[in-house]
Amino acid sequence: MRALFFTLLLTMTWSPVTQAAETLYEIRVDGLACPYCAYGIEKKFMQRGIVKTFDMDFKKGLVKVTLKDGEEMTEPQLKQLFDEAGFSYRSVNKKAL
Amino acid sequence: MKRWLIRSAVTLGLLLVGVMLTVWMLWIPSAVEPPYRFIQAWGERGTNPGQFNDPTGIAVTADEVFVSDSRNGRIQVFDHEGRFKRQFGSPGDKPGQLGRPMNLSIHENMLYIADYWNDRIQVFGLDGKYHHSIGSSGDGPGQFNSPGGVALNRKGELFVADFYNQRIQHLNADGSFVEQWGTTAEIGIWAEEFNYPTDVALGNDEQLLVADGYNDRIQVFDSSGKFRRKWGGPLAMNIFGPFPGWFATVTSVAVGPDDNVFVADFYNNRVQKYDSQGRFLTAFGRRGNGPGQFAYITAVAVAPDGTLFATDLGNNRVVSFRSPRKPQ
Repeated sequence: MRALFFTLLLTMTWSPVTQAAETLYEIRVDGLACPYCAYGIEKKFMQRGIVKTFDMDFKKGLVKVTLKDGEEMTEPQLKQLFDEAGFSYRSVNKKAL
Repeated sequence: MKRWLIRSAVTLGLLLVGVMLTVWMLWIPSAVEPPYRFIQAWGERGTNPGQFNDPTGIAVTADEVFVSDSRNGRIQVFDHEGRFKRQFGSPGDKPGQLGRPMNLSIHENMLYIADYWNDRIQVFGLDGKYHHSIGSSGDGPGQFNSPGGVALNRKGELFVADFYNQRIQHLNADGSFVEQWGTTAEIGIWAEEFNYPTDVALGNDEQLLVADGYNDRIQVFDSSGKFRRKWGGPLAMNIFGPFPGWFATVTSVAVGPDDNVFVADFYNNRVQKYDSQGRFLTAFGRRGNGPGQFAYITAVAVAPDGTLFATDLGNNRVVSFRSPRKPQ
């Protein structure tokens, strides 16, 4: 019985959901100071319905996005999103939170 | 060999000077009016009344100033001295809610708001009461992909800067399609083509002025829709710069009581003033957070008495100016 309990507990704590760590995407973009561009990028991210937090640093040309648990964006997906918003992004840096 | 080199260098130098002189004479006009005087500024970053989080649009009546407080998803109303009067709207996508309100326009006591995220023009009474909405998401006739600005003619017909669709739409008052300028979703730098248009305004003779954002120019169409002129840098075709008469991203255009044209020159942190034919008159504003300075100007509007109001994005404030030629 005790073995079953610990097995269940272990299964629960190691499930993919609890394991999924949030990822912060720091994306460098040129010309972010224009709100039309900034809001365009933000709109494209929001339309995907996977964004948890979104922040922009106009001065540094940096977009900071965390996605909902278990969600991920690949570099080609990010490139496409920025293309649609009228940008070419320079680089992305992923950080596990 | 040495002689040949010297001769080539001299020729090249003279050529360069010649080109610079030509550019200067043709495309760098001198001001014919003194710059406007700074009157006052109000606002700071925040969510309380009188505070802003990205002011991006502005419209004025004889006694009130309406400001798009974009990230706060609301419109704030002030008197001309910056005293807060009321606010309306909230963030969201339901009727009466706002998703990044941008440039504003007032017509017959109604406020028209370019609702950038929700792909619609929302119409409110000046008292803040929600009235109706025009348009939906898409690239079809009467649809929008991030409208940046709106203007109305005497008949109440709308002209909308449809930012990501790279076009200007002309709609009936009920939102039904009349015509468009530009090819949908195609960027172009020639006349009647657009590169992310941000705003529109109508002159006293109903000529349509388009802030052709990333083409760094103004394009003008007459009341029958025919292209008339364009201005902004050499040949007005996406050549940006800091000189008088040049732009570095145009985010707003407004027409004053004397039919003069005022342009928000975003990256140059200044307002440029032209006559209705596009002749450069004066410019004012520079980078900073002091009086009369901007950390990216986003929008301009002119009151009936000629006072100019502008939104200062980075400093989260509204700034007013007046011509030294006007009394008061």
